Amino acid sequence: MLRFLFLIVLLVLGHEQVSANPRYSDPDGCLSCHAYEGLSFIDEQGVLRSATIDSSHYASSLHGSVPCKDCHREVINYPHKVENTEVDCSESCHVEEPSEGVKYTHDPIHKEMDKSVHSGGWYKGLTGGNRLEEIETEQDPSCRRCHSNTLYIPEAQLEKFKEDFDHAETECGNCHQGKAWMGQFGGHILRRLIGRRWNNQENNQMCIDCHGDHEKMRDVKQEDPETLEEHPPSDRFVYSTDTYAKTLHGRLIADDSAYGASCIDCHAPLAWKHDIRSYTDSESASHPDNLPETCGQSDCHGYTKKPGNEGFTLTDMHNLTLVNLADFKQPLEEESLRGSAWFWSIWPLLLFGVIFIVGSFIWWLLYRNTKKIIPIVGGDRFERVMVGRKGKAGRKKAVVKKPAVKRDAKPKSEVKETKAAVKPDSSEPIVEKDKPVMPDKAETDISKVDNDTNNKGA
Amino acid sequence: MKVIENIKTIPKVQKFRYAMIILTSMTLLGPLAFLPQLVGSDDLCGSLCMRRFYLYFPGMTWEDFFVHVNAASIGVMAFSLIMITTLFFGRIWCGYLCPVGGLAELSSRMLNDRWKIEFRSLPQIQIRYGYFGFFLVAMPALGISACSLCNFITIPRLIEAMSGEYRGMMFLVSSVGLVNLGLLLLLGVFASKGRAYCQFMCPIGAADGLVNRLGAKMPFARRIRVAKERCTGCNICARNCMCGAIKMVDRIATVDQVSCMSCHECVDVCDWNALAWTTKPNHKVNEPKRIKKNTEIFPLPDWQAVHFNPVKADAVESAVKTGPAISVLSVFNAMIFLTVISIIIVGSFL
Ligand code: SF4
Ligand code: SF4
Ligand code: SF4
Repeated sequence: MLRFLFLIVLLVLGHEQVSANPRYSDPDGCLSCHAYEGLSFIDEQGVLRSATIDSSHYASSLHGSVPCKDCHREVINYPHKVENTEVDCSESCHVEEPSEGVKYTHDPIHKEMDKSVHSGGWYKGLTGGNRLEEIETEQDPSCRRCHSNTLYIPEAQLEKFKEDFDHAETECGNCHQGKAWMGQFGGHILRRLIGRRWNNQENNQMCIDCHGDHEKMRDVKQEDPETLEEHPPSDRFVYSTDTYAKTLHGRLIADDSAYGASCIDCHAPLAWKHDIRSYTDSESASHPDNLPETCGQSDCHGYTKKPGNEGFTLTDMHNLTLVNLADFKQPLEEESLRGSAWFWSIWPLLLFGVIFIVGSFIWWLLYRNTKKIIPIVGGDRFERVMVGRKGKAGRKKAVVKKPAVKRDAKPKSEVKETKAAVKPDSSEPIVEKDKPVMPDKAETDISKVDNDTNNKGA
Repeated sequence: MKVIENIKTIPKVQKFRYAMIILTSMTLLGPLAFLPQLVGSDDLCGSLCMRRFYLYFPGMTWEDFFVHVNAASIGVMAFSLIMITTLFFGRIWCGYLCPVGGLAELSSRMLNDRWKIEFRSLPQIQIRYGYFGFFLVAMPALGISACSLCNFITIPRLIEAMSGEYRGMMFLVSSVGLVNLGLLLLLGVFASKGRAYCQFMCPIGAADGLVNRLGAKMPFARRIRVAKERCTGCNICARNCMCGAIKMVDRIATVDQVSCMSCHECVDVCDWNALAWTTKPNHKVNEPKRIKKNTEIFPLPDWQAVHFNPVKADAVESAVKTGPAISVLSVFNAMIFLTVISIIIVGSFL
């Protein structure tokens, strides 16, 4: 018990010591220049960029206690070059992971990213990179393109954040005493707890921001993973977000359901979720051979891995025919027009149309005086099977005889009703005598009815 | 003027029914799609999908099933609601509310009968449950998206295509669009009474029909029932039944409870009150109203929902004449037949 207490005291003290460290007061003297207001330069793209750092802002930021050179390692001399200011996040970082005691690094992500279709993006100046230029000229996104920190705390969460922040003193502060800790890490951790990760909808929106832009996607050059040849993108690629939105996956996520699969769920299901590759790449999660594994991830379609389901993965998740064709330019061009399904289907439709028109005319000539309209396809069969009349010949007779039959139907059926009333077993079929459509049957039935009545009377 | 007169002759219940269908079409389908939008969807698909969760994938476990159920939770609730109401009142969802079957029916009713295709006399139970089996088991295993043959997305999609910009119509000539259009036109607009899709292909209708038949013998269930002793065999009801559910067996109307939608039309057209949408009567079968001087007077109508073919020698004969009765074997055969045909069709596409 005593040892335990001692441990706690030691822990608290130790913590206090670490967190109570004073903030670095710019040991490399970077702020001696960068604190100047209006310090700016014109970059290669001709954009005026500010290099001013507000020292009070910096000190109160998350990185306030981190000296500039911890990240901008290549800056050795003064004055330094612009290129040297870039930060390489794949190197080890100043943060130590408390449970492992290892310096934090983005290296695994770097390696994954390197193999993905977006690999070109890694090398763009990671922190200093100008996002303007990146959007305009290059197709590969940098880290910041997706991990943009513009809204540090989403507006929707701001109120909750403020509320929780007020309680942080009592809740986090129970253990983590000391202003320095609370000031530096409290907000950061709280924000992580509240904001957590993006939800699937936001995840998808991140992809759609780029991939949903048809114009931009048309300009993308795709690379064949085997031959390394570049080719223009296919329609499947250009309209990938639209086709996705039509699938059940896309719809569920759009409905804010937890059950849809987001882009990343299928395209980079493993590890750090950066390993997005072309479906033609045999190591890609979306390669046909790997689909059973991908679709069968935990609590998705687990049965895809089982025999008998080979066809399941054939389901087209980017089915172009579902997209609103108004967005396409292609079908209106002659070449693709001849290859398209609808161009060819026009011919049989045209044939049917001609038959329809000619047939209508002939029908009108032959049958314009017939009162009774019977569907030309299957009408006859209906008479025979459902109504129990005879085929064509019987029908013609029936049409002619119709009024006569109708007139004396009434009294006859009344007679029959009384008969039925006396008859004990009403499941016996009743047949009108004067309509011997099925002669043999009618005869036997009539005899039976008569017999029954006789019995009853007796 | 003639049109107005024609409308005036529509029976009251049918007027109400058409009005209900128009109302649900306007609230459930695009471009208004008011009700689906309340739950964050703009058509009847996605979390509203009622017809996917019961698909069977080989090797599927209960957990997988519950994932499917949860994914389409609203659809599952709607489905259960439909089944429960069906148990008590007959298929009123199909007859009175479903905008999908209803829209096709209404548009078909506006056309002259001459050019229509008469599907009603086909062996609908065999075809329907054959396709249902194929839909449940074979389609998922083959990886065919059942959605392109699903009217619950077809009709909203067509309406969406036609309600937007004129170029949206291009959807109609894409391959999926053509299939959808074919479904709507061949099994809807140009089908006699416009319910052929419901008869043959709708999985909800198929499940609903089973529930309808199961409940038919229960005393509390409202069904279309026939009083045999009143039926004159005039067959107006069989001609008017939009689902082909009435068949004249031995010149008496018999209602096929697996297919009947309780639309009430047969009741409206029968001049002899031989049909009614009602529960089982309290009196016994063939109980007379009174017995006077040892003579039984006029039996109370004996409202029967299910008529069994009399097992007699002449029943076989009548079966030959009026088409085969339904048997488990023929349903099974139809299932195998349809599966083979579909595999061939699908195989030729791949
Ligand atoms: S059978 Fe299907 S499509 Fe037809 S009315 Fe019923 S639910 Fe609607
Ligand atoms: S309309 Fe009435 S009397 Fe005529 S066949 Fe039908 S149930 Fe019998
Ligand atoms: S049997 Fe009557 S209620 Fe049933 S579908 Fe046919 S017409 Fe409608």
